[in-house]
Amino acid sequence: MDNELFMNTEFPTPPEMATHFEHQPSSSSAMMLNWALMDPTPHQDSSFLWEKSTEQQQQQSIFDSALSSLVSSPTPSNSNFSGGGGDGFLIRELIGKLGNIGSNNNNSGEIYGTPMSRSASCYATPMSSPPPPTNSNSQMMMNRTTPLTEFSADPGFAERAARFSCFGSRSFNGRTNTNLPINNGNNMVNNSGKLTRVSSTPALKALVSPEVTPGGEFSRKRKSVPKGKSKENPISTASPSPSFSKTAEKNGGKGGSKSSEEKGGKRRREEEDDEEEEGEGEGNKSNNTKPPEPPKDYIHVRARRGQATDSHSLAERVRREKIGERMKLLQDLVPGCNKVTGKALMLDEIINYVQSLQRQVEFLSMKLSSVNDTRLDFNVDALVSKDVMIPSSNNRLHEEGLQSKSSSHHHQQQLNIYNNNSQLLPNISSNNMMLQSPMNSLETSTLARSFTHLPTLTQFTDSISQV
Amino acid sequence: MASADKLINTDVPEKDVFAFHFLQSLSNLRKQNPFDTPDQKNYRVRKIKKAAYVSMARAAGGSSRLWSRALLRRADKDDNKIVRFSRRKRKVTWKISSKRRRSNQRAPVVEEAAERLRNLVPGGGGMETSKLMEETAHYIKCLSMQVKVMQCLVDGLSPK
Repeated sequence: MDNELFMNTEFPTPPEMATHFEHQPSSSSAMMLNWALMDPTPHQDSSFLWEKSTEQQQQQSIFDSALSSLVSSPTPSNSNFSGGGGDGFLIRELIGKLGNIGSNNNNSGEIYGTPMSRSASCYATPMSSPPPPTNSNSQMMMNRTTPLTEFSADPGFAERAARFSCFGSRSFNGRTNTNLPINNGNNMVNNSGKLTRVSSTPALKALVSPEVTPGGEFSRKRKSVPKGKSKENPISTASPSPSFSKTAEKNGGKGGSKSSEEKGGKRRREEEDDEEEEGEGEGNKSNNTKPPEPPKDYIHVRARRGQATDSHSLAERVRREKIGERMKLLQDLVPGCNKVTGKALMLDEIINYVQSLQRQVEFLSMKLSSVNDTRLDFNVDALVSKDVMIPSSNNRLHEEGLQSKSSSHHHQQQLNIYNNNSQLLPNISSNNMMLQSPMNSLETSTLARSFTHLPTLTQFTDSISQV
Repeated sequence: MASADKLINTDVPEKDVFAFHFLQSLSNLRKQNPFDTPDQKNYRVRKIKKAAYVSMARAAGGSSRLWSRALLRRADKDDNKIVRFSRRKRKVTWKISSKRRRSNQRAPVVEEAAERLRNLVPGGGGMETSKLMEETAHYIKCLSMQVKVMQCLVDGLSPK
């Protein structure tokens, strides 16, 4: 049954394939095989297949080996193939390889890391954890008794892997990408087990170098979707940025679900994960698939679905979001802005509030100048002379380091000194109690307490002068 | 509230810091201008207002904020206001023209409001909109603090 499907050189109907391969590890490989052989138009269901397939790591390894065998001259090296791979068919051999690999997957997933680093990295396959076991419906694929050593000991494996990597870049892209990653298998190992091909796509896309190809492959039509996907993987894995594993891990959990949603027949392959990436503080405007540069300090941005992907619009989007963030900040500050929605109205409110505050300052300064002429002289002089400039040198300090608690504490100390001095006088202490209550209604800081002394001090000095 | 945001820091010092600086500037004012004649009330008012702003700028962290720097600069050379304005306008236009390439005009609604804000907030001429928002947030905080201090002072010193 499998062979029949494989023998069908046309692109099989996806639901059929999907149902057939739903629980088989080779589904992805079969899909990819067909994809490699002919350039299919990706359907909604094919994306579904992708989704199904990519959730299992082993499929990628199978795929890799399948493709590698496809590239190289078919040399049946598997002895445990129990399916129908004995023909001269290339496909049958491939199936054989698949079966072999599928059977080997359970035992040693780690071994994939080293020999398959080249090919694995091309397709962003995390080989760190052993793939989950799949049910064994098909006798062909589910033979798991064979140890992996056989596979890894394949003499031509390294060669095939090497060729495979080149194959991947050439066939899937139409453009040559010579800078294929070599040692990014380690990076991939760091990723969570859930980081599948698809989910690594968003992560890797974000880490691509900042060089931008405006109107690049991402804005192409559907046909380029699989190409773009595969192309992105080799290139993005090549980026050795330190935030790679971090972002990948972060997006690993999210990417699976997100990518599954976005797979279906979209014209532009973009995914949305901006908040997390912007919060990272490092950045890269991801828009192309050129070879990576040394990691720079950019903001990771990912274009949204259905939006343009050139750098300008991306930058615009980042800017918009920044402004939105700060608007939220301002919303908390300005009283009564919660009910207002929309940027324009809120900005009007903010402007009105700033204007009102400035008018208040002006009004209060007028009041101060008119009301407190004489009193202010006394009080200010007294206050200032007593506690001000115990350290006059601290002025400069205060200008710069006023945010610290120590400075405010120092101020407090100075005010307290004044308080202590005035409290030596018994008259004033009684007056303090009287005056403190109305003042406390206004504010409860030490400022209030210090200011209550001012009128009392003036009264005291007045009384003294009278005498 | 806003200080919970790690990326944007809009902390302002406590009230007594503002009060301290304000009182200090007022005392300096007293020493410099001992007159209290009603003829020069406007002059006095303006002086006090300027003292209030300058002390606020100093209290809020001297040169660590764009608006405070601009305020202090303005206070130091208030005969050069015209020069400053033109410099400001030029900066704004340069920034906008350089960044507005093929994008969608940068949401003209927001930009209009930003322009008005720039006129209000000192030093807002040479800033981008996002930075302007940050400065506005900090400025609002400082302004409200200063208003509170002055209100307290007025209430404390007004005759009962």
